[in-house]
Amino acid sequence: MNDLAAASAAALTGASAPAKLKVRDVHFYYNGYQALKGINMDIPEKQVTAIIGPSGCGKSTLLRIFNRIYAIYPKLEAKGSIELDGENILDPAYSMNRLRTKVGMVFQKPVPFPMTIFENVAYGIRHHEKLSRADMEIRVEQALRSAALWDEVKDKLKQSALGLSGGQQQRLCIARGIALRPEVLLLDEPTSALDPIATGRIEQLVEELKHEYTIVIVTHNMQQAARVSDRTAFMYMGDLIEFDNTEKIFTKPGKKQTEDYITGRFG
Amino acid sequence: MSAVYARRAVVNIVALALSGLATLIGLVFLVWILWITAQNGLEALKPTLFTKITAYADQGGLANAMVGSLIMDLMALLICAPIGVLAGTYLAEYASGSRLGASIRFLNDILLSAPSIVLGLFVYVIVVIPTTELTDGRITFSGFAGSVALALIGLPVIVRTTDEMLQLVPGTLREAALSLGIPQWKLTMQVLMRAALSGILTGVLLALARLAGETAPLLFTAFGNNFMTAHPLDKMASMPVTIYQYTNDPNPALHAIAWAGALLITLFVLALSLLTRIMFSRKKVSYE
Repeated sequence: MNDLAAASAAALTGASAPAKLKVRDVHFYYNGYQALKGINMDIPEKQVTAIIGPSGCGKSTLLRIFNRIYAIYPKLEAKGSIELDGENILDPAYSMNRLRTKVGMVFQKPVPFPMTIFENVAYGIRHHEKLSRADMEIRVEQALRSAALWDEVKDKLKQSALGLSGGQQQRLCIARGIALRPEVLLLDEPTSALDPIATGRIEQLVEELKHEYTIVIVTHNMQQAARVSDRTAFMYMGDLIEFDNTEKIFTKPGKKQTEDYITGRFG
Repeated sequence: MSAVYARRAVVNIVALALSGLATLIGLVFLVWILWITAQNGLEALKPTLFTKITAYADQGGLANAMVGSLIMDLMALLICAPIGVLAGTYLAEYASGSRLGASIRFLNDILLSAPSIVLGLFVYVIVVIPTTELTDGRITFSGFAGSVALALIGLPVIVRTTDEMLQLVPGTLREAALSLGIPQWKLTMQVLMRAALSGILTGVLLALARLAGETAPLLFTAFGNNFMTAHPLDKMASMPVTIYQYTNDPNPALHAIAWAGALLITLFVLALSLLTRIMFSRKKVSYE
């Protein structure tokens, strides 16, 4: 990364970590309705970036552009550019297959596949790589260990994943995502369907995973953003209002709107 | 104030009584039908029904009709299940929001309620007449033609249940698979089909139950046969057509056999319904 790019990254993130994702003037339209109005931000590498804001502010929309999952629905359109390691992922020429191995995603509700626990993790790997049985077992174990689930499921890998608790299912979904060894992990309100204990485990996991992955988490829960993230972005009505160190956002926000939201005066 | 509550209480009682009465009327007729079928059928039930063919008339049984029905029902299922499941999959996964999909759904609903005699005539025109002409009259009515007609009865049932069952699979499951880079065809065949499997199988069994009782589509297609045959290009006997013919006969001994046949079909359909119930309740996968 050259000095100029580093300087611009510093300007946008307020930090010196290199940018993994560079979002430039991104607009988004749902069937003509504008949901994002020119977003610019640099997502720092191997850190946790939280996106907060009231319902309908566009935070999930933005997250869903990072792996172009929005593209499976008709009449949705993204404009602008998002560079992942210097390449524009919004360029139609950028391979969807490649993008989705580089950028993993975990959803609001845990959605294990209707398969065994082992197969849930192995399924995605098998599509991209040909591994021997032994290698596959190692990869699955690694992924489950990274997701802090191994000890709970190691004796029932052949059982259906649908028998796990909600929190376990969500960690399985994280294991499934990191089994492909992505570089970026997108978490879309990953704990909103979980109880406080399961939520605590996921948050702890995010803390551990950030040493290896660039993590972007969308959350409704401001305390959660404050607990797990290094940087926090506040969005409102399709605009990025403020993006700074999490500590600064929650103690001395630069903008009035951010302060109002943080202190619960609206949203 | 209390007048309002009193009025509501009265309206509630009236509504409850009316809907209860309607349910009762429906149930009375259902039980009545089952009762009469069971009573007359059990009386006529004897082992020769399963061993003798219809050629012996009132001294015979229904063995050839049972074999014929079984063969034609299974062949019909072999024709309509793959087509129906794939068409339903297309509707749910590839054409769900499109105008084409909506039109196909509408047409499928029409097929679902089409008079079965019309389907029989249709197959007579597109299968029976051409085969007769092509083989100089050696192959005319056939078990195959009968099963094509029955397949047309089962097809829309399977299309519709497959479509509906796949639509019940939550969209997030699709997103989760696609976000792992899994292509759409793999997602559909390996993830969604598995999630909706018990529902889809239920649809297939429902279709079987539906087509097993059909008479009209077989009249001009399989025609009937007083002898045992398993050859799909022969004229073939079937339970519903045999029952229809026997009840039209003045001989009361044949009426008795027809009652026994009616009971057997009823039990077959009942067993299928129970099986679908068990399957659907056992393997229900909850995604909320």
